[in-house]
Amino acid sequence: MRSDELVDCHVLVIGSGGAGVRAAIEADQYGDTVLVSKTIVGKGGCTPMAEGGYNAVLKELDSCEGHYEDTLRGGAYLNDPGLVRVLVDESPERMADLIRWGAVFDVDDLACVAQRPFGGQRFPRTCYAGDRTGHEMMTTLTERMADTGVETYQEVSIVSLLQHEGRASGAMGLDRDGEVILFRSDSTVIATGGGTRVYDISTNSSSGTGDGYALGYRAGAEVIDMEQIQFHPTGAVYPYDARGRLVTEAVRGEGGLLKNKLGERFMTCYDPERMELSTRDVVSRSIATEILEGRGTEHGGVYLDVTHLPASQVESRLPVMLEQFLKFGVDIRTEPMEVAPTAHHIMGGLRIRPDGSTTMKGLFACGEVSGGVHGANRLGGNALAETQVFGKRAGEAAGKAAVHSRDHDPAQVEAERKHLDEYFTGTSEPAGVWNKLKLSMWEGAGIFRTLPALEQTRSVILHLQSLQLRAVTAENLVECCTVRNMLTTASLIVESALLRPESRGAHVRKDISQAWTPETSPFGHTYLSTSCRGIEKVSR
Amino acid sequence: MKELTLRISRFDPKKDTAPHFENYTVNVHDGARVLHALHAVHDDCDPTLTYRYCCGTGQCGSCAVRVNGQPVLACMEEALEGITVEPLEIPVIKDLAVDLLPYINELPIICPVSTEAATMPAKDIVETMKPLRSCIGCMACVSVCPALSVSDFKGPTSMRQEMRLSLDPRDKKDRTAEAVNGGLFRCTSCQACWKVCPKEIQIPGKAIEKLREVAHFKGHTLPRHAEVAALIRETGRSVTWTEPSLLELTAEVMEPYGPVKKTVGFFVGCMYNLRLPKTALDAVEVLRRNGFRVVIPRDQICCGSPLIRTGQTEYVDTLKARNIAAFTALGIDTVVTMCAGCGSTLKHDYETPFKVIDFSELLAETGFGSPAHLGLNVTYHDPCHLARGQGVTEQPRTILRSLADITEMPSICCGSGGGVRSGFPDEAAALGQRRGDEIKKTGAEMVVTCCPFCEFHIAGHTDKPVRHLATLLLKGYREQEKSGT
Repeated sequence: MRSDELVDCHVLVIGSGGAGVRAAIEADQYGDTVLVSKTIVGKGGCTPMAEGGYNAVLKELDSCEGHYEDTLRGGAYLNDPGLVRVLVDESPERMADLIRWGAVFDVDDLACVAQRPFGGQRFPRTCYAGDRTGHEMMTTLTERMADTGVETYQEVSIVSLLQHEGRASGAMGLDRDGEVILFRSDSTVIATGGGTRVYDISTNSSSGTGDGYALGYRAGAEVIDMEQIQFHPTGAVYPYDARGRLVTEAVRGEGGLLKNKLGERFMTCYDPERMELSTRDVVSRSIATEILEGRGTEHGGVYLDVTHLPASQVESRLPVMLEQFLKFGVDIRTEPMEVAPTAHHIMGGLRIRPDGSTTMKGLFACGEVSGGVHGANRLGGNALAETQVFGKRAGEAAGKAAVHSRDHDPAQVEAERKHLDEYFTGTSEPAGVWNKLKLSMWEGAGIFRTLPALEQTRSVILHLQSLQLRAVTAENLVECCTVRNMLTTASLIVESALLRPESRGAHVRKDISQAWTPETSPFGHTYLSTSCRGIEKVSR
Repeated sequence: MKELTLRISRFDPKKDTAPHFENYTVNVHDGARVLHALHAVHDDCDPTLTYRYCCGTGQCGSCAVRVNGQPVLACMEEALEGITVEPLEIPVIKDLAVDLLPYINELPIICPVSTEAATMPAKDIVETMKPLRSCIGCMACVSVCPALSVSDFKGPTSMRQEMRLSLDPRDKKDRTAEAVNGGLFRCTSCQACWKVCPKEIQIPGKAIEKLREVAHFKGHTLPRHAEVAALIRETGRSVTWTEPSLLELTAEVMEPYGPVKKTVGFFVGCMYNLRLPKTALDAVEVLRRNGFRVVIPRDQICCGSPLIRTGQTEYVDTLKARNIAAFTALGIDTVVTMCAGCGSTLKHDYETPFKVIDFSELLAETGFGSPAHLGLNVTYHDPCHLARGQGVTEQPRTILRSLADITEMPSICCGSGGGVRSGFPDEAAALGQRRGDEIKKTGAEMVVTCCPFCEFHIAGHTDKPVRHLATLLLKGYREQEKSGT
């Protein structure tokens, strides 16, 4: 047996986005904390790419009750109400933390944090820093973390969770060279973000590969509502390689209009009351329908138009959008954007309690990798708030957890190592497998779903999982592990979609008609673990 | 899909002693960025290629590389046929991945005043901080910074962060002192950092000069810089008299040979007035030969650049008012500069009621009489304040090509600017030496430039003659005359 680098700590945090860093900052108050990041800290995950904003009740005219109701209604009442209560109650205080730590949010003339309207909310409660809100938060959080004792391992990828005596006891990682590092901890926080890169068209960064769902599931933790995939209504449509790039909801929050190729504001047909600021599931389906029915633009999207707004407003409130479109030859001050839905966020994830604990002892989760907060559709601005509220809670609970004997099971490590070694004799290129996966997911598990299409995608995933991935060198092992995680995450999405016999929020089954509304649905969460699966029944 | 060939720098420190280039031909979609070409190389040609990326949308700063020598974000730069992709000029981990962490970890962090209060600063402060806040840590600025490469200067983005923190009432540290210790006065104000910044953060103007201003008022000014400021206050000039000045050698109005094509004002600047008046005379002569009536107001004084660059700004408004009055009193609508520093200052730091134009810009715009080709092989040194400060790079070359053959060298700072030559002669010399080495590599017989500071400084680091473009052009005219007679 080769000797591995061993790192012992009280709390191990996996992931370096908004939730992971927030968890590490908190956990550090209780004991030695190690944060492991697949990327350079501050650059990975979706937080630095999050543009629009952070929902918090800050004004007297607004109320936490209002935020609570909007979130539940937007989530098609599939949310875990207890988690939503925590989210809305604590979001303002976590915003205050960011301000104490130096965040530079936009302010009004009285130096109060400025807020703008976002979809599905009855009050303008989305705080922002231009259209680089997440980047601002990430900068603040990494600065703050640098001032703590948190030790970071950067560009190290976790490939499996370690278990000892029935509890999570750390994780096994690979560094840039493919060398193994064993992290042993009393408690482990998964904050690995989302995974919509399993879809052909996605807003996610390179790290949105669903690692955390796969790691948690394989270790025995339960995931819920994995079928609930948010397709953000507005992603770029061309050039080819830029497809899916997020066009922030702030564009509509600032007054952007959606029009089809005939120049019609088609939202009048789908949600005449809320129009462009309807919830994301509704807007995405509306856009997809316009395109399917032949009213799409040349590049297969619809128009998103801000040319009626003053150029100065576009420049100061949407500078990143302006810059990105200019790079591709479109001046959004004078020309409409072309947009179409893009896979954005996984509402489902590891089942958590309000303190971030999962169904597995010693394992905590926070941020996008967890499930239950957003139900069947997430409101824009609630994800950044979630990272802070539940990042803090998970970090705190993990930090307060008891100290255990830090040990690992050599047999497990040896089995994992053997699994890695098999990649050297594999025959399938990871890139090719991923490519087939994401096309099949877009085709069969996209905005509109049917039983045959889901089953077809399931069979593609099963086939791809049977292939032996190939690593040319030790440095390429991580690519194999990542594609393996994507296959697991995709299968969780498809299996969950097959478990939910209704249309609910973002999950639309075209082949099922139902007599109930989201509020009166007889179904609760779908759940999956290595030992059980099903859908909860709700007595109304 | 289209086929694309690109050249990539490969380097594995475990196996290689030095980087080498490999050529790859890949298929990419129309409109593909450099990053997508790298993906194609990795997926279809060589899975061992190492490069870093993350967001793919220009927001995380992971993927900065040099394309044809220029730092860019691979995810935003279009992939074009025949490009060369290299790592940033930062220690390489492998292939295109460089070690960003030492620079990221060195960035100053906020030191909050209170853990109790959670109040945002006022709107005007927020609006001033915001542009300094959009840094994505790609370290393109670090890659191109000349000062950082030869001194212990903490670098452009570190200074950006010091400025951002100094503006924030929530921060309790003395950022000015920290910036001074971090090499605030080591920046040559070459402008390279913000020209490569994907977020176009104007670090020299919006951070370094502003911090220097605060540092000045807190008593951190370098003695040599204070001497220059005293001289300007006393004499209106940043250098001392050693020989008859241009103003003494010329009349206020110099008529052209032949009909008047246009009347222009001539801003001579301290160096050309007092140290290199013969070069200035050459420029005046060239203008007269091209039909310009050259008006040289007697009341013009130092433009203030040495004060602005070093943060000693209290006297600058007086200089501005006097210079503007000197030209407007004579009804001038166009002012020609021949010093890159003066030109950039008049264009950016002044609000002039007249147009300011560089000597080479004017001639390229209006056309110029053909000189004789001198049969020389020369190299052209881009003055920072002309190339990056004013965006003037092609015009001098257009003129120069009519006179000589040009062998190009990389456009980098010679080390004379920003008060560094007087403040830190060692740093200036190290950069000057690099320039000398580049000049040697070109094999040129002569160096041509358009800035007196560059001219003076480079001359100390090369055995080749260094001339202003005007001098060479006048020589071309004289040769033309000779061959004509």
